[in-house]
Amino acid sequence: MKPITHSLIKFAIAAIVSATLFRYFLTYGIEIKSGSVIGISASIYAILMFLSGWNFGKEDKEYLPVYDVGFRFHFTTYLIHNVVSELWFVLGFNSKYENIAAIHTVAIIWGLFLLVHFIVFLRTRKNAINNLHKEDLFD
Amino acid sequence: MYEQKLKELLSAWEETYKKGQLTFWIFLALQEGEKYVDEIKEFVETKSMGVITCEEQSLYRALRKYEHIGVLTYEQRKGNKGPERKYYYFTDLGQELFALFVQRNIQLFYSEEIRNLLKFQTNEANNA
Repeated sequence: MKPITHSLIKFAIAAIVSATLFRYFLTYGIEIKSGSVIGISASIYAILMFLSGWNFGKEDKEYLPVYDVGFRFHFTTYLIHNVVSELWFVLGFNSKYENIAAIHTVAIIWGLFLLVHFIVFLRTRKNAINNLHKEDLFD
Repeated sequence: MYEQKLKELLSAWEETYKKGQLTFWIFLALQEGEKYVDEIKEFVETKSMGVITCEEQSLYRALRKYEHIGVLTYEQRKGNKGPERKYYYFTDLGQELFALFVQRNIQLFYSEEIRNLLKFQTNEANNA
Protein backbone atom coordinates (compact mmCIF):
# COMPACT_ATOMS: atom_id res chain seq x y z
CA MET A 1 0.00 0.00 0.00
CA LYS A 2 1.07 3.56 -0.62
CA PRO A 3 -0.60 5.30 2.34
CA ILE A 4 1.11 8.65 1.68
CA THR A 5 -0.31 9.85 -1.62
CA HIS A 6 0.17 13.22 -3.37
CA SER A 7 -3.32 14.29 -2.31
CA LEU A 8 -2.59 13.42 1.32
CA ILE A 9 0.62 15.49 1.21
CA LYS A 10 -1.30 18.46 -0.26
CA PHE A 11 -3.93 18.01 2.45
CA ALA A 12 -1.19 17.92 5.11
CA ILE A 13 0.28 21.20 3.81
CA ALA A 14 -3.18 22.81 3.86
CA ALA A 15 -3.67 21.47 7.41
CA ILE A 16 -0.31 22.89 8.60
CA VAL A 17 -1.17 26.33 7.20
CA SER A 18 -4.72 26.24 8.63
CA ALA A 19 -3.60 24.99 12.06
CA THR A 20 -0.85 27.61 12.29
CA LEU A 21 -3.25 30.42 11.34
CA PHE A 22 -5.79 29.08 13.82
CA ARG A 23 -3.18 28.97 16.58
CA TYR A 24 -2.12 32.53 15.82
CA PHE A 25 -5.66 33.95 15.97
CA LEU A 26 -6.57 31.76 18.94
CA THR A 27 -3.62 33.12 20.93
CA TYR A 28 -4.50 36.64 19.80
CA GLY A 29 -8.16 36.15 20.81
CA ILE A 30 -7.17 34.79 24.23
CA GLU A 31 -4.65 37.59 24.71
CA ILE A 32 -7.23 40.31 24.06
CA LYS A 33 -9.94 38.21 25.77
CA SER A 34 -12.22 38.30 22.77
CA GLY A 35 -14.74 35.48 22.54
CA SER A 36 -15.68 36.51 19.00
CA VAL A 37 -12.10 36.29 17.68
CA ILE A 38 -11.77 32.85 19.28
CA GLY A 39 -15.16 31.68 17.96
CA ILE A 40 -14.66 33.03 14.45
CA SER A 41 -11.12 31.63 14.12
CA ALA A 42 -12.27 28.21 15.36
CA SER A 43 -15.19 28.22 12.91
CA ILE A 44 -13.00 29.28 9.97
CA TYR A 45 -10.46 26.61 10.94
CA ALA A 46 -13.18 23.94 11.01
CA ILE A 47 -14.55 25.08 7.63
CA LEU A 48 -11.08 25.17 6.05
CA MET A 49 -10.27 21.68 7.30
CA PHE A 50 -13.60 20.34 6.11
CA LEU A 51 -13.17 21.86 2.63
CA SER A 52 -9.56 20.64 2.37
CA GLY A 53 -10.58 17.13 3.40
CA TRP A 54 -13.46 17.17 0.94
CA ASN A 55 -11.35 18.43 -1.96
CA PHE A 56 -8.18 16.38 -1.45
CA GLY A 57 -10.14 13.31 -0.31
CA LYS A 58 -12.09 13.40 -3.57
CA GLU A 59 -8.90 13.85 -5.57
CA ASP A 60 -7.30 10.96 -3.67
CA LYS A 61 -10.24 8.66 -4.38
CA GLU A 62 -10.23 9.53 -8.07
CA TYR A 63 -6.55 8.61 -8.28
CA LEU A 64 -6.86 5.35 -6.36
CA PRO A 65 -9.94 4.44 -4.30
CA VAL A 66 -8.07 3.40 -1.14
CA TYR A 67 -10.67 2.02 1.26
CA ASP A 68 -9.66 3.39 4.66
CA VAL A 69 -12.94 4.99 5.80
CA GLY A 70 -11.13 8.36 5.95
CA PHE A 71 -8.65 7.19 8.58
CA ARG A 72 -5.47 8.47 6.88
CA PHE A 73 -6.94 11.99 6.58
CA HIS A 74 -8.23 11.93 10.16
CA PHE A 75 -4.90 10.71 11.53
CA THR A 76 -3.02 13.39 9.54
CA THR A 77 -5.33 16.11 10.91
CA TYR A 78 -4.86 14.83 14.46
CA LEU A 79 -1.10 14.67 14.14
CA ILE A 80 -0.73 18.12 12.57
CA HIS A 81 -3.14 19.88 14.90
CA ASN A 82 -1.48 18.52 18.02
CA VAL A 83 2.11 18.93 16.82
CA VAL A 84 1.43 22.56 15.79
CA SER A 85 -0.22 23.20 19.18
CA GLU A 86 2.64 21.63 21.14
CA LEU A 87 5.24 23.53 19.10
CA TRP A 88 3.32 26.74 19.70
CA PHE A 89 3.97 26.31 23.41
CA VAL A 90 7.51 24.98 23.03
CA LEU A 91 8.43 28.04 20.95
CA GLY A 92 6.73 30.31 23.45
CA PHE A 93 4.11 31.78 21.08
CA ASN A 94 1.26 31.04 23.47
CA SER A 95 -0.69 33.61 25.44
CA LYS A 96 0.06 33.98 29.13
CA TYR A 97 -3.56 33.01 29.81
CA GLU A 98 -3.15 29.66 28.01
CA ASN A 99 -2.31 26.41 29.74
CA ILE A 100 -0.62 23.51 27.98
CA ALA A 101 -2.83 21.11 29.94
CA ALA A 102 -5.71 22.16 27.65
CA ILE A 103 -3.67 21.01 24.62
CA HIS A 104 -3.00 17.64 26.25
CA THR A 105 -6.65 17.20 27.22
CA VAL A 106 -7.72 17.85 23.61
CA ALA A 107 -5.08 15.38 22.38
CA ILE A 108 -6.30 12.67 24.77
CA ILE A 109 -10.03 13.09 24.10
CA TRP A 110 -9.54 13.42 20.34
CA GLY A 111 -7.12 10.45 20.55
CA LEU A 112 -9.92 8.30 21.94
CA PHE A 113 -12.13 9.18 18.97
CA LEU A 114 -9.20 8.45 16.68
CA LEU A 115 -8.77 5.08 18.34
CA VAL A 116 -12.42 4.24 17.69
CA HIS A 117 -11.92 5.31 14.06
CA PHE A 118 -8.84 3.06 13.87
CA ILE A 119 -10.82 0.08 15.17
CA VAL A 120 -13.52 0.72 12.54
CA PHE A 121 -10.75 0.98 9.92
CA LEU A 122 -9.31 -2.38 11.02
CA ARG A 123 -12.73 -4.01 10.91
CA THR A 124 -13.26 -2.92 7.30
CA ARG A 125 -10.06 -4.72 6.23
CA LYS A 126 -11.98 -7.92 5.58
CA ASN A 127 -13.81 -6.20 2.70
CA ALA A 128 -10.59 -5.06 1.05
CA ILE A 129 -7.80 -6.52 -1.07
CA ASN A 130 -4.58 -4.49 -1.04
CA ASN A 131 -6.58 -1.71 0.66
CA LEU A 132 -9.08 -1.39 -2.20
CA HIS A 133 -12.69 -2.35 -1.58
CA LYS A 134 -13.54 -5.64 -3.29
CA GLU A 135 -16.51 -4.01 -4.99
CA ASP A 136 -14.32 -1.23 -6.39
CA LEU A 137 -11.69 -3.50 -7.92
CA PHE A 138 -13.17 -4.43 -11.27
CA ASP A 139 -15.11 -2.06 -13.50
CA MET B 1 -44.32 1.74 -29.77
CA TYR B 2 -43.08 -1.87 -29.74
CA GLU B 3 -39.77 -0.87 -31.40
CA GLN B 4 -39.28 1.98 -28.94
CA LYS B 5 -39.87 -0.28 -25.97
CA LEU B 6 -37.48 -2.89 -27.38
CA LYS B 7 -34.82 -0.23 -27.83
CA GLU B 8 -35.28 1.08 -24.30
CA LEU B 9 -35.19 -2.40 -22.76
CA LEU B 10 -32.06 -3.31 -24.73
CA SER B 11 -30.38 -0.10 -23.65
CA ALA B 12 -31.30 -0.69 -19.99
CA TRP B 13 -30.05 -4.29 -20.10
CA GLU B 14 -26.81 -3.27 -21.81
CA GLU B 15 -26.18 -0.57 -19.21
CA THR B 16 -26.30 -3.24 -16.50
CA TYR B 17 -24.42 -5.81 -18.57
CA LYS B 18 -21.58 -3.44 -19.39
CA LYS B 19 -20.79 -2.93 -15.70
CA GLY B 20 -17.82 -5.14 -15.08
CA GLN B 21 -17.11 -5.61 -18.77
CA LEU B 22 -14.30 -3.06 -19.01
CA THR B 23 -11.93 -5.23 -16.96
CA PHE B 24 -12.57 -8.18 -19.25
CA TRP B 25 -11.88 -6.14 -22.38
CA ILE B 26 -8.72 -4.56 -20.94
CA PHE B 27 -7.42 -7.99 -19.98
CA LEU B 28 -8.37 -9.34 -23.40
CA ALA B 29 -6.37 -6.53 -25.01
CA LEU B 30 -3.36 -7.42 -22.88
CA GLN B 31 -3.78 -11.10 -23.63
CA GLU B 32 -2.91 -10.17 -27.20
CA GLY B 33 0.32 -8.56 -25.98
CA GLU B 34 1.63 -5.62 -23.96
CA LYS B 35 0.04 -2.30 -24.81
CA TYR B 36 -0.03 1.35 -23.79
CA VAL B 37 -3.22 3.19 -22.94
CA ASP B 38 -4.15 4.39 -26.44
CA GLU B 39 -3.64 0.92 -27.85
CA ILE B 40 -5.81 -0.64 -25.14
CA LYS B 41 -8.53 1.93 -25.81
CA GLU B 42 -8.40 1.28 -29.53
CA PHE B 43 -8.48 -2.48 -29.03
CA VAL B 44 -11.48 -2.32 -26.69
CA GLU B 45 -13.51 -0.03 -28.89
CA THR B 46 -12.67 -1.77 -32.16
CA LYS B 47 -12.94 -5.38 -31.06
CA SER B 48 -16.15 -4.78 -29.13
CA MET B 49 -17.50 -3.08 -32.27
CA GLY B 50 -18.14 0.09 -30.32
CA VAL B 51 -20.35 -1.60 -27.72
CA ILE B 52 -17.78 -0.93 -25.00
CA THR B 53 -16.40 2.59 -24.95
CA CYS B 54 -14.03 3.95 -22.37
CA GLU B 55 -12.84 7.38 -21.39
CA GLU B 56 -9.07 7.68 -21.12
CA GLN B 57 -9.41 8.78 -17.49
CA SER B 58 -11.41 5.66 -16.59
CA LEU B 59 -8.84 3.54 -18.33
CA TYR B 60 -5.95 5.13 -16.43
CA ARG B 61 -7.83 4.72 -13.16
CA ALA B 62 -8.59 1.06 -13.89
CA LEU B 63 -4.95 0.35 -14.86
CA ARG B 64 -3.70 2.02 -11.67
CA LYS B 65 -5.98 -0.24 -9.63
CA TYR B 66 -4.88 -3.42 -11.44
CA GLU B 67 -1.27 -2.42 -10.99
CA HIS B 68 -1.92 -1.70 -7.30
CA ILE B 69 -3.43 -5.16 -6.67
CA GLY B 70 -0.59 -6.80 -8.57
CA VAL B 71 -2.35 -8.23 -11.61
CA LEU B 72 -0.69 -5.88 -14.09
CA THR B 73 2.62 -4.16 -14.28
CA TYR B 74 4.25 -1.84 -16.77
CA GLU B 75 7.49 -0.94 -18.38
CA GLN B 76 8.17 2.66 -19.29
CA ARG B 77 9.81 3.11 -22.65
CA LYS B 78 9.71 5.18 -25.81
CA GLY B 79 7.32 4.23 -28.57
CA ASN B 80 8.20 4.45 -32.26
CA LYS B 81 7.50 8.15 -32.08
CA GLY B 82 6.48 10.53 -29.33
CA PRO B 83 7.06 10.54 -25.58
CA GLU B 84 7.76 7.74 -23.12
CA ARG B 85 4.80 5.45 -22.55
CA LYS B 86 3.78 2.90 -19.99
CA TYR B 87 3.46 -0.48 -21.66
CA TYR B 88 1.18 -2.63 -19.53
CA TYR B 89 1.33 -6.40 -19.30
CA PHE B 90 0.10 -9.21 -17.05
CA THR B 91 1.95 -10.39 -13.99
CA ASP B 92 1.82 -14.14 -13.30
CA LEU B 93 -1.04 -13.49 -10.87
CA GLY B 94 -2.96 -11.50 -13.49
CA GLN B 95 -2.40 -14.12 -16.17
CA GLU B 96 -3.69 -16.85 -13.90
CA LEU B 97 -6.64 -14.73 -12.75
CA PHE B 98 -7.68 -14.05 -16.34
CA ALA B 99 -7.31 -17.71 -17.33
CA LEU B 100 -9.49 -18.81 -14.39
CA PHE B 101 -12.09 -16.13 -15.11
CA VAL B 102 -12.33 -17.17 -18.75
CA GLN B 103 -12.52 -20.82 -17.81
CA ARG B 104 -15.37 -20.25 -15.35
CA ASN B 105 -17.33 -17.52 -17.10
CA ILE B 106 -16.61 -17.48 -20.82
CA GLN B 107 -15.84 -21.01 -21.92
CA LEU B 108 -19.30 -22.24 -20.95
CA PHE B 109 -20.63 -20.29 -23.94
CA TYR B 110 -18.71 -22.69 -26.18
CA SER B 111 -20.67 -25.79 -25.17
CA GLU B 112 -22.69 -27.35 -28.01
CA GLU B 113 -25.99 -26.74 -26.26
CA ILE B 114 -25.37 -23.08 -25.48
CA ARG B 115 -23.94 -22.43 -28.95
CA ASN B 116 -27.08 -23.84 -30.54
CA LEU B 117 -29.27 -21.70 -28.33
CA LEU B 118 -27.24 -18.61 -29.20
CA LYS B 119 -27.40 -19.49 -32.90
CA PHE B 120 -31.17 -19.64 -32.58
CA GLN B 121 -31.22 -16.22 -30.91
CA THR B 122 -29.00 -14.76 -33.63
CA ASN B 123 -31.34 -16.08 -36.35
CA GLU B 124 -34.33 -14.61 -34.50
CA ALA B 125 -32.63 -11.23 -34.31
CA ASN B 126 -31.71 -11.34 -38.00
CA ASN B 127 -35.28 -12.22 -38.99
CA ALA B 128 -36.75 -9.45 -36.85
